Amino acid sequence: MNNNKLIVSHAPFWHDGDSLFNTNLNLLIASLPAVIFSLVQFGAPALGVLALSLSSAMAWEFIVTLLSGKKPSINDLDSAVIGLFLGMMLPATAPWWLVIVGTFLAVVLGKMIYGGIGANPFNPALLGIAILTLSWASHLDFDAAYINYDFSFTALAPLAAVKAKGALAVSDLFPLSDLIMGKQVGAIGTTFGLGLIIGGVYLILRGFVRWEIPVSFIAGIIFTAFCFNLANPDKYAAPMIHLFSGYTLFGAFFLAPENSSSPVNRIPMLIFGFCAAVMIILMRNIGAYDDGTVLGILLLNVVNPLIDTIRPKALGKEVRNA
Amino acid sequence: MIKRPFFALTKPRLGYDIPEPDPKEPKSMPLPSNLILLLHDPIDDARETLIKTGDKVEKGGKLYLYKDSKEYTVSPVAGTIKIIDTYSDDFGNTSTYLVINTDPGRTAGTDTVKYELKDTIASADEYLRTLPGAPPLKTLADPDKKIKTIVITCADSDLLSTTQQYIALTLMDKIKEGIQVLRRITPVSKFCITIPENLNIKADIDTVEVFRTSGAYPSNLPQMVLKDHLNIVLPAGKKPEDLGICFITAEAVVSLARAYKTKTAGHEKILTVIGKQGTPYRVTATIGTPLRRIFNAFSIQANEKDRIVIGGPMKGFATYTVHHPVQPDMDTVIIQDKGTVPELSDNPCVNCGKCIRVCPVNVPVNILVRYLEAGHYQDAADRYDLLSCIECGLCAYVCTARIPIYQYIRLGKHELLKLNADV
Repeated sequence: MNNNKLIVSHAPFWHDGDSLFNTNLNLLIASLPAVIFSLVQFGAPALGVLALSLSSAMAWEFIVTLLSGKKPSINDLDSAVIGLFLGMMLPATAPWWLVIVGTFLAVVLGKMIYGGIGANPFNPALLGIAILTLSWASHLDFDAAYINYDFSFTALAPLAAVKAKGALAVSDLFPLSDLIMGKQVGAIGTTFGLGLIIGGVYLILRGFVRWEIPVSFIAGIIFTAFCFNLANPDKYAAPMIHLFSGYTLFGAFFLAPENSSSPVNRIPMLIFGFCAAVMIILMRNIGAYDDGTVLGILLLNVVNPLIDTIRPKALGKEVRNA
Repeated sequence: MIKRPFFALTKPRLGYDIPEPDPKEPKSMPLPSNLILLLHDPIDDARETLIKTGDKVEKGGKLYLYKDSKEYTVSPVAGTIKIIDTYSDDFGNTSTYLVINTDPGRTAGTDTVKYELKDTIASADEYLRTLPGAPPLKTLADPDKKIKTIVITCADSDLLSTTQQYIALTLMDKIKEGIQVLRRITPVSKFCITIPENLNIKADIDTVEVFRTSGAYPSNLPQMVLKDHLNIVLPAGKKPEDLGICFITAEAVVSLARAYKTKTAGHEKILTVIGKQGTPYRVTATIGTPLRRIFNAFSIQANEKDRIVIGGPMKGFATYTVHHPVQPDMDTVIIQDKGTVPELSDNPCVNCGKCIRVCPVNVPVNILVRYLEAGHYQDAADRYDLLSCIECGLCAYVCTARIPIYQYIRLGKHELLKLNADV
């Protein structure tokens, strides 16, 4: 008599093979072009910041799960992604304590206190960098950060320069090809536009990022910046300057589409991306900050649950109050 | 198992399988020495059963548990009842199983019990409920349902299965005969038949509407057939029967035709068996044959921690024993090696939205699963479309966090029914 114990579980008995580990691993892979470029551009300090950021983020998550008596969850690589993304938004010269405080804010305040993966209302990396920017603005001043570097291109952060002097005065300093090829001063992982686009397209094609968000985001940047530029070309920069400087492309492909803090239905996704971009350009052109990417996306994270209620009617569902 | 493609910009496409162009005869399973029958009637310890262990049964004889039982089963063999005991399914519903020791001498040849079948649905319901294919005679005979349309399904509803398609390919004449029988015994005027569009078959049946169904899952599920071909949107929480539409498998129609011709019940069920390497086999087995017999015939070994799936990879159920019997409605049996059983997890939803994009009926699965995890079934039904779910299983198939979503949904519906029943 054959009395082997069989596995009894519930349908479906197939799975497409995807997992959180796989998704996060692909996010890390997609960021590689920009990361490798940054190592060439900024050298060992950039490697130091990225390595510390990634490892400390994982350490924070491990410590929190240990303290709260939960099953360790760092093997899903979610905190690794948060850590790497936070590191990519810091200047290469960021001091070690800034990095560790940043990952604490991102992982613990941004994610773990809400209950861990999937429960965060804000993009954790953005929350971390927002608090750092507001608290230690001088350490995130990209003009000051690279004072000891000797670059072959204009060592001025484009957005800060536009803000200070107006678009006309700096128009010759930042040729578009330089911006695309990463010849600009900025955060470690966000200067190499081409690399970010390659990574983003990879994520979209492989289905790890929903195309609606980056596409509407970029459309929003171009449209709003174009309107401002049309109104006053001397003061407001052209759309392409906005698109290829600051955190814009990193935001479009890596930050805005963060799963938990962005919508899932099609129309809300388009609204989310577009409105985040509009907010960013408004902040850059009218607001007090050079780069509004961080706060712009965080703002839309807040309204995400509201706009995600725009959804198609389920089959056979009667609509009341209609 | 179909995995995620490398490029996954669009939602995954799961295609129904079609039988090989020139299908071979199914391999016939020998009659086992012990048969197991399921009787959908729970044992009541306080009452004396009509049938007892040691009783002799006739081939084709009807078996009731109690005098006033509404449910019956038909013995496919002549023999002796060895065991009567309780069987419980995955939701804890209890029924009864009977083990019958076959008497080969008396079983050989045609059924000893001839039925007095009249041309009425009540008469068919009296004898033929357990025919291979499980014709829904109870529904058809129910005066409250008022069935006006019958849809005959030659398209298998779950993946991997080719049983109904095989029957459509080889036994179309019998299906036509069966439709004549149904016309005689029921007042139904409208007959439809579903045939997969990529199945090479000529279907020209007089006064029967032919629906060529798409090869992409889940287009063969009843709700999708209604929506795509009959332009009827099934209201949430309703069954097709509630709208006067009854689905019946091709095999059931064939069985009805045969039963009316011979005045006896048929007992040979056609099955698609999928081995561990994904190899399909087609067999005919007597209803009640333990699955172990079929596996042995193809030298498939069921080892520790393997999984036996009955009814298809998306909607089926797993059994805990290799002795599970062949049932009238069992089209597919799959055995999965323990190495290929995908792992589930207790991760929370990460809101990646894959389920939303794959859901054929626009259920907001990401929110729904949160309510279901928290046990808020009524809210889930009122606000997040729990009852609109057509139970195709695609959401759980694509889930990045590997949440058993489909199971949550089934549990939610089950609990809600219980809740409403209590009220």
